[in-house]
Amino acid sequence: MGLLDRLSGLLGLKKKEVHVLCLGLDNSGKTTIINKLKPSNAQSQDIVPTIGFSIEKFKSSSLSFTVFDMSGQGRYRNLWEHYYKEGQAIIFVIDSSDRLRMVVAKEELDTLLNHPDIKHRRIPILFFANKMDLRDAVTSVKVSQLLCLENIKDKPWHICASDAIKGEGLQEGVDWLQDQIQAVKT
Amino acid sequence: MAAASSSDSDGGRAESSEANSKWLDAHYDPMANIHTFSACLALADLHGDGEYKLVVGDLGPGGQQPRLKVFKGPTVLSESPLPALPAAAATFLMEQHEPRTPALALASGPCVYVYKNLRPYFKFSLPDLPPNPLEQDLWNQAKEDRIDPLTLKEMLEGIREKAEVPLSVQSLRFLQLELRDMEAFVNQHKSKPIRRQTVITTMATLKKNLADEDAVSCLVLGTENKELLVLDPGAFTILAQMSLPSVPVFLEVSGQFDVEFRLAAACRNGNIYMLRRDSKRPKYCIELSAQPVGLVRVHKILVVGSNQDSLHGFTHKGKKLWTVPMPAAILTMNLLEQQSRGLQAVMAGLANGEVRIYHDKALLNVIRTPDAVTSLCFGRYGREDNTLIMTTRGGGLLIKILKRTAVFVEGGGEAGPPPAQAMKLNVPRKTRLYVDQTLREREAGTAMHRAFQADLYLLRLRAARAYVQALESSLSPVSATAREPLKLHAVVQGLGPTFKLTLHLQNVSAARPIVGLRVCFLYNEVLYALPRAFFKVPMLVPGLSYPLETFVESLSDKGISDIIKVLVLREGQSAPLLSAHINMPVSEGLAAA
Ligand SMILES: Nc1nc2c(ncn2[C@@H]2O[C@H](COP(=O)(O)OP(=O)(O)O)[C@@H](O)[C@H]2O)c(=O)[nH]1
Ligand SMILES: [Mg+2]
Repeated sequence: MGLLDRLSGLLGLKKKEVHVLCLGLDNSGKTTIINKLKPSNAQSQDIVPTIGFSIEKFKSSSLSFTVFDMSGQGRYRNLWEHYYKEGQAIIFVIDSSDRLRMVVAKEELDTLLNHPDIKHRRIPILFFANKMDLRDAVTSVKVSQLLCLENIKDKPWHICASDAIKGEGLQEGVDWLQDQIQAVKT
Repeated sequence: MAAASSSDSDGGRAESSEANSKWLDAHYDPMANIHTFSACLALADLHGDGEYKLVVGDLGPGGQQPRLKVFKGPTVLSESPLPALPAAAATFLMEQHEPRTPALALASGPCVYVYKNLRPYFKFSLPDLPPNPLEQDLWNQAKEDRIDPLTLKEMLEGIREKAEVPLSVQSLRFLQLELRDMEAFVNQHKSKPIRRQTVITTMATLKKNLADEDAVSCLVLGTENKELLVLDPGAFTILAQMSLPSVPVFLEVSGQFDVEFRLAAACRNGNIYMLRRDSKRPKYCIELSAQPVGLVRVHKILVVGSNQDSLHGFTHKGKKLWTVPMPAAILTMNLLEQQSRGLQAVMAGLANGEVRIYHDKALLNVIRTPDAVTSLCFGRYGREDNTLIMTTRGGGLLIKILKRTAVFVEGGGEAGPPPAQAMKLNVPRKTRLYVDQTLREREAGTAMHRAFQADLYLLRLRAARAYVQALESSLSPVSATAREPLKLHAVVQGLGPTFKLTLHLQNVSAARPIVGLRVCFLYNEVLYALPRAFFKVPMLVPGLSYPLETFVESLSDKGISDIIKVLVLREGQSAPLLSAHINMPVSEGLAAA
């Protein structure tokens, strides 16, 4: 039984689907995290290796996940921004060991937060400071400093250090997200 | 991660704030202790793990401790000492088969050190040059103890002065020694054969036979011996050798070795020589009249930086396209290639702490750095495509990442020449005939002018003669004789067959009336009939125009017309005072029945 089954089961949201966007730079660990969260019986809906960007989608009982790399030079940006509207929660994954690209992750986060489909919604954001097991990794506190998370005032957010390969830290994050979605639903 | 301490702006506009800068400040370490130039920087996925590393051939502080450094992200991954100062670094694929991890080549002294997976793999040495026979002879004598070190020194110095074939390193080192060390040096080295080797000044890579991004490449070396060598990618044998009139310092290479390629070599004599696949010697030459400080090929244009603080654009045939002045001395140059947008531009690090980015003549962007940039390169680093790496005069390392949404636009540049000036006029091509004529004009200009003048005088003479003749025979409608100044003009009216012919006769003298004039018509009597062919003119009062009318009957019905001559005569004189020819119109009416 995957973590998600518990999440959706506890919420009692069997009827209505909750759409979760899982975003972050390429190589941050999104696929690894989602695979850990995925129940064994979940069908990977489509992995679309479209030119320029790829989207992974899958559904589990009552949650649908859309995962994509925020990579590339803008030409396909409007394609993925198209999914912002239907997202009800965001998981933003950061590679804590990629010091050089921390500025790029911040830039992408800022662009996301300023997008008209996200800006004025109280949508919960869960940050995974992933790859904490690596020697070069900075702490989750340092990651939140570098990304200036304290500036996010109008949305609930939470950051967890994680090791997606071992699955460490994922539970804590999912628990928090669960509370947030429930708060919105009730 | 260091605080952001540099800024950039589009050309000319006020320094832009952090928010609308095109660059993200990824890293700045003013104490990175890197001392190098652009030729010694290379970016490559050396381990084949998708994480691109930075290779630095470091001269060391004051050029004292040359080292090979490899960076991963902001930190040094490995460091190893080099036997001599590095001249250039390059990464290239040696062979087709997997794993396709690029090898690293570092040129230093007379050797190229090749590393695979960052482990030493091969050392290529430039071939020996023939030693000076006199020098050889001296050392042979020293070997047999027939010459003492002091004489040896004097003789070698003599050779050095003349220096047709330069001395070997061994002799040069010997000449530097103190007197007391000489004996030992001679004893130690006398039995070794003397070797003369040149050193590598520059290095580039050239695709072997495929144009692909990741195709196997040859190394191209420029040497102090004024030569260019192309090496085989796997065997490191010399595939081609070309000689230059001067020592190459910068190289630009395009094409494929097996198909067709072009080499451009900027040399110490201030010239840039261009060579093709089959040329053993330069095909074209650009004379800079200044020292080159950088050479970058942007698409088909060669951009050269000169020590007169300007960038020049040339075609691959050496035709100059443009010149852009820089606000300060150029310290280093390199290519910026943004593959996702197909943009190629030139980056120039200036002594005033600016890095300027140009697309042809257009300034795209200015980056202001805390210290003057002495080396820079742009490309994929770590996992980010458009990363700019700069090292500074003080040994600092600056890494900037181009924003994913950033677009370079032209025209934000400083006030320059108006765009109309750069517009090409549609001038038609010069024809062969035009060229021939121009050449002939240039060669035979004087003769042509003389012929023209002679013809002009002849024409004038003929005109004057005709005029005189007309006057003499009073063939003109204006009489110029002093006694009878007359003017005549005639009007023909009607459609035919009957016309009315009116002569207007005027006395143009100031006061004297004219009397005793006759008018006579001469005509073909088959064609025309006039009631009076000869009549008297009344007295002509000065100034008035007298209309003298007569009818003319056209007799022919064949549509023929003829001339009727009018003569004005003085009574008793046979020569007319004046005459006129009247061109009669064709009769359009029916002939008189
Ligand atoms: N050491 C370590 N490696 C991780 C971790 N999470 C992911 N990776 C590795 O990072 C690489 C990229 O992961 P992936 O999930 O494909 O990233 P995505 O591009 O965001 O989907 C893979 O080689 C993973 O094995 C982690 O927490 N620790
Ligand atoms: Mg993925």
